[in-house]
Amino acid sequence: MPFPRSIRWRLQLWYGALLVAVLCGFGATAYHLEKGRRYRLIDEGLHSRLSLLVDALRAGPERGGERKRPPELHLAPEQSALFGGPEGYYYAIWMQGAEPIGTSPGAPAAIPKPNGRENLLRVRGDFRETFLFAAPVNCVLVGRSMAADQADLRGFGGALGAFGIAVLAAGLVGGWWLVTRALRPVEKIGMAAALIAEGDLSQRIETSESKSELGELASVLNSTFARLETLFAQQSNFTADAAHELRTPVTVLLTQTQSALTRERSAEEYRETIEACQRAAQRMRRLIESLMQLARLDAGQEPLHLAPCDLAKIARESLDLVRPLAGDRKIDIEEDLSPAICRGDAERLAQVATNLLSNAIEYNHERGRIRIWTEGRDGVAVLKVHNTGEGIGVADLPHVFDRFHRGDKSRTSTGHSGLGLAIVQAIVRAHGGAIEVESEPASGTTFFVRFRAENC
Amino acid sequence: MRILVIEDEPDLLAGLARSMREEGYAVDTAQDGEDGLLKALEVSYDALVLDVMLPRLDGWEVLRRLRLKKKTPVLLLTARDKTTDRVRGLDGGADDYLVKPFDLSELLARLRALIRRSATEASAVIDLGSVLIDTAARTVTCAGIPVILTAREYALVEYLALHRGDVVTRTTLYEHLFDEMDDSLSNLLDVHVSNVRKKLGHEFIVTRRGHGYCIET
Repeated sequence: MPFPRSIRWRLQLWYGALLVAVLCGFGATAYHLEKGRRYRLIDEGLHSRLSLLVDALRAGPERGGERKRPPELHLAPEQSALFGGPEGYYYAIWMQGAEPIGTSPGAPAAIPKPNGRENLLRVRGDFRETFLFAAPVNCVLVGRSMAADQADLRGFGGALGAFGIAVLAAGLVGGWWLVTRALRPVEKIGMAAALIAEGDLSQRIETSESKSELGELASVLNSTFARLETLFAQQSNFTADAAHELRTPVTVLLTQTQSALTRERSAEEYRETIEACQRAAQRMRRLIESLMQLARLDAGQEPLHLAPCDLAKIARESLDLVRPLAGDRKIDIEEDLSPAICRGDAERLAQVATNLLSNAIEYNHERGRIRIWTEGRDGVAVLKVHNTGEGIGVADLPHVFDRFHRGDKSRTSTGHSGLGLAIVQAIVRAHGGAIEVESEPASGTTFFVRFRAENC
Repeated sequence: MRILVIEDEPDLLAGLARSMREEGYAVDTAQDGEDGLLKALEVSYDALVLDVMLPRLDGWEVLRRLRLKKKTPVLLLTARDKTTDRVRGLDGGADDYLVKPFDLSELLARLRALIRRSATEASAVIDLGSVLIDTAARTVTCAGIPVILTAREYALVEYLALHRGDVVTRTTLYEHLFDEMDDSLSNLLDVHVSNVRKKLGHEFIVTRRGHGYCIET
């Protein structure tokens, strides 16, 4: 038979086996103790009667010389009452011959005379007998039928067995109840988990036991479920936002092409339409590239070519890239670049610097100022970018690195996808670094990027 | 018919404005919520096309503030297609709702329906006895014969026909037939009226001297 899979049945089986073993142990011990006690009592009775008989025989008249004549047995009435009574004691006395010269009333017929090799106690069928080879006779034997005692013991054994079965049954029922009770939270956990598996992520395990092992398990699972739900919601928001970001350029494509196709146009108008379509397509391409890069960073699949690189050098190169942009808006750039060597992928770190700089330009006032520092000290390589823009509101500050989050509610004005800072954060984290932001409504915003410095 | 389009994506705005102008509408544009609200409160537009996601002032807020003062029909454009968003838009006072990306033809059809409804006109065809105006096809027939009108002339006929029986002032006509880009040369309207009279008969548009023009029922 295969071992049952259900924990309930396994527990019940182990519990039952243990209970049977304990009950058998107890029963056997009790039976043996009772049996020993009874036999001891009987043996004491036999021995006391034997010495009584021997004493009585010895107290008889001395018949010196007439040794062939059997001595007479004189027993007081109360001593005679010890034999042949309801307790079933009897005696037999032998001289030299095999036939007893005297037996008590109630003695069984044909008691074989003990021979010298036997122990002083013998069990003969239902009878238990003790004897002594003692003067003035040849052998004195006291015996007792054990039939009643053995029946008693059998009865006692039966009672023990019945009691044991009753205890076992009660134990199994109680065990079942206990196991059911103990497993109820597990069932609840199972049901909640099943609902979650079906897709209802808002399910939680309700349990009254907060301190027990299962309660702890339930709270661990609940927090896992909560995390899952948050992640799932984030993921689904992210997908919705990504689709949302694609809607506007697609609308531009549709509107521009449908409008252009309603009639014959001049070459100039066709050119404008195609340029508008190109801008929309570029925007979609940027969005798709950003999404792919984020997905790779999330999955840890973005290949990073790690090598010692100087943040100052990277910052200088990025500055060259964004300088025209800053020039358009007449933004002044201050730089304070001291060597900051860290281990990283120069191309990705350049992306971080360029993103932070173009962000600083975009969210700056016209004729504003940008300051960029790099420094390596105390084992940390730091890149800081400050702008004199309007600053980020307290409500928005915790969300600046969120995907598709934008300070203003417009999603289309800047042509940025709203993924720039999310990508920056993902790259920095992939390098084991940290990024922070500080913002004052009046004085502007500073981004801090920190990496572990490389010693060389 | 004069329409205000508030949309922050320049290429989309340009495409929409071009198509609407070609449909004979006078079109004003705004690229952010503040500018849009300002224009919408100043001019009596026949309809507003309003994007929800706008810089400075979002579409919901523009709609809310506009509704405190004006009943201009509003067509909301949005990239959100959840039912809750649609309900919010319609409950917020929008008259219709279109989810991006949309087909230009659908947008224009909804716009026509919106303007027709606001003039309490149930049918797309206006019957003025011998003259029939099909506002969906933007065609006019006189005694069963199609009459060729320019976009401006058609707009003039349609506006007066939608307000037939009422005297429409020259100022109102200027406001509804010309957009902010047009030079408000005062004789431009007279030229259009005269051209329409040549095509549909002198009595079709009646001049109420000192008041304005009227198509009598």
